[in-house]
Formats: sequence, C-alpha cells, structure tokens
Amino acid sequence: MGFFVFLPLVLPLTSWPIARLAEHHLHPRSAVRLLSWIGVSMAVCSTLALGLLFVVGTAQIPGNPLPDSWSDPEIRTAVPFHEEVGTAAVVGLVTVLTACSRSLRRHLRIRARALRALSAMPLDSDLVVLPDPEPYAYAVPGAPGRVVVSTAMMDSLDVDEQRALLAHERSHLANRHHRFLLAAQLASCVNPFLRPLQKAVGYATERWADEEAAGSVGDRRLTARAVARAALVTRSAGPAPSFAAFAAPGPVPRRVTALLSPALRESWPPPASPAGLAAMVAAAGTAASAVFALNAAVALLLLVKAATPW
Amino acid sequence: MELAGLDPESGESGDGEEGGRRRRGQGELATEVLTVLHGAPGPVTASWVQEQLGGELAYTTVMTILSRLLAKQVVSRSRAGRAYVWSAASDAAGLTARRMRRLLDTEPDRDAVLASFVTALTPEDEQLLRSLLNATDPPQDGAGRSGGR
Repeated sequence: MGFFVFLPLVLPLTSWPIARLAEHHLHPRSAVRLLSWIGVSMAVCSTLALGLLFVVGTAQIPGNPLPDSWSDPEIRTAVPFHEEVGTAAVVGLVTVLTACSRSLRRHLRIRARALRALSAMPLDSDLVVLPDPEPYAYAVPGAPGRVVVSTAMMDSLDVDEQRALLAHERSHLANRHHRFLLAAQLASCVNPFLRPLQKAVGYATERWADEEAAGSVGDRRLTARAVARAALVTRSAGPAPSFAAFAAPGPVPRRVTALLSPALRESWPPPASPAGLAAMVAAAGTAASAVFALNAAVALLLLVKAATPW
Repeated sequence: MELAGLDPESGESGDGEEGGRRRRGQGELATEVLTVLHGAPGPVTASWVQEQLGGELAYTTVMTILSRLLAKQVVSRSRAGRAYVWSAASDAAGLTARRMRRLLDTEPDRDAVLASFVTALTPEDEQLLRSLLNATDPPQDGAGRSGGR
C-alpha cells in the first residue's frame, strides 16, 4: 500500500482553504452541513489509516493478544516502515481515543450540569431569565432545550433586540447546532489538521442562528445591533481575552458586518466561482481520503486473510 | 469503559460513582427543601419541613441541608422561642442563577457545548464594533453618532 496509507492523515490539511472559502461564499446553513460532513468523513478516514498502521505496530509487540498471523513476516514486508511508523501509530491511536473520549465526556458533563442547574425552573417556557449581574446568554441543548439569559443581558438590550437574541438562541436549539459542534470538535480531536474546520463550523452556526434571527424579527440591522450591543456589554463586564489580538477581526465584528450586508442566497454557488471551486476541492479531498483509506483497509484485510491458516 | 462516558449522569467531574450519586441526591434534596420553604405559610421549624417532605428524611439530614442553604444565603434563619425558624431567602431563580454562575466559572470550555450569544472581544474588535454600531444606530437613537448615513 506504500505511501497512500498516509494520505488520509495529511489530506485534512485541505480543510483550511475549504473553511475559509465556505465562510465567505456559502450560506451558513450549507456551510455548517458541508463542513461537518467533510470533517467527520476525513476524521473517519484518518482514524482508519491510523488503525491500519496501529495493527502493523502492535504486531511487533511481543506477547500481544492479537492473532499470531498479524505478525507474519508477509505482513511486515508488505507494509512499509513498519518499525517506527507502527510504534508511532500505536501512540497516535491511543492519544486520539483518549482525546475523543475526554472531549465527549466534557460535552456531556457540561450539558448535564447546565440542565441540572436549570431543573428548579418551571418548564412552562423555554426561556429562563436568571438574576445575575454578569451579562450572558446561552442555549442549553436538551429535551426540552432551554435558553438562559441573565437579567444583566436583558437589561442591556431594548425589547426588539431581546427578540432578536431569543430568536438566535432558539435557532441554535431548533437546528440542533450542538450536534454539529460536537461532531466538528471530535473530528479535530482525531486529526489536529481539522481544527480550522471546527472553528469554521462554530462560526457558521452563529451565522446560521443570526440569519434565522434576522428572518424571524424581519430586520437585519436590528439583529446586527443586538449582537454588537450584547458583545460590547459582555466585553466591558467580563475579563479581557487572554490571547493576543490577531490581525483579522474576530467573529463578532464579522457577524455584524455580515448582517449589515445583504443576505447570501441559499443556492449552491456556480462551479466556476471561488466557492464552487472550494466545494469541488473539498469533495475531491474527502473522496481521495476515503478511497485511500478504504484501499489500505482492503489491502490489509487481504493480507491478514492470506496469512491466516483458517 | 467507553460506554460509561456516554451516560450523561456519570459525567460529573470524574470521581467515583458513589460520590456523584450522593452529591446529586443532595442537590435534589436542597431543591425539595427550598420548594417546601417557598410553600410554607411563613417561617417554619426544621421539623415542619421534615414532616412536609413525608418524614422520609432524618431530622439531622434536614438540618444539614438547611445549614448548607444558610451558608449559601439561600435561606434565612431566626430564633422563635427555643427553636430556630427557617424561611426561603431567595427564589428558585436565584438558586438557579447561582448554580449557573458556578457552572460558568468552573467550565472554561463551556462555549464549545453551550452556544453563547457572543464571544469575548479583543480591544481592536471592540473599536471596530463600536464604529459598526454607530453605523447601525437608528436615527431616533442618536447618542454618540458623528455623521449618520
């Protein structure tokens, strides 16, 4: 199988230009769906490739619990660089599985804690306004999902802006954005090259909710104002962000700018445009990744079968 | 082993199962005690609370819960004759707000799970946002606008 087995590990690098182009040219709803699918597919392929190298790696560990045939010289000679790469893959796969399970546990823990914190509130409304001097607004997924807004946040917005904020949070819940976020997060745990995709999915879900909020209140400028006001009160009340300032504007100003611009069309971009090109590169990268991973899987399966006496 | 992570109930900070269960139980009991205090006609004794809860809990358990709630300033206590009487100092929203506060303070990575309306701004972002906001302000809301449209 040669070098091809490594491609699924490296092809996720294509997610960087894909993420950037999708953000600028696709409707956020399409962007979230496309990027999540690419992320998950590439993560699966990447894990598969790592798994194959892992098999090769474990075969050299003396006394491993795997069938003897796995360490047959035939397999060793068929897979290149089995010594170092195999060992690295063992470490890699263990790291990946640990990172994924930690990520998943944290996700479930935070959700459970949030729902438990809210359990004392009556269920007659999905909106929970909590007396708190610090401004915040969160969508807590669950059955039923709840929107939590502090009184400080409510007080800093006028009635129309409050409507936009609630529409935004309800859109997160109605469209189950937490699933996309979790999928993208797990994908980036599997392969760090997919991290830009995770960021892009996070941003695109916010944009999606912004667009739905704007549609629901029927005013893009009003929604932009709500986002900007909320961010400014959050900024002045909360601690300063610890990271250094980047040259590019952060997500909130980009969201406001997008809301102040005319709405993007929902249809897919024409193939000749940069966005269309990005979609095609994305599709090609994912397909190639999948093909190489499958190819490697089949090759190894055949080898193991050939080396197995029964 | 992996499956354990899928159970949302077992996700409590990774300590033993017993610990998680007991702690959660106390959280629920505290809520029940608070509910009873809210429904009470006025300041009531701990044994009254114990009766209202169906008498399933030991008096000392009720006292423990009440003392904890007192430490959190969720309930207040005053002396009536030889016994203490208790009343709810804040409502369910206050208790929920405190719990939410604790969650937000102790989970720095919450934004990956709970969709926040806005994220933190850098000083550059803030400046950019203020200029954008000035551009969006409706005419009647003219505070601090320079040129308008």
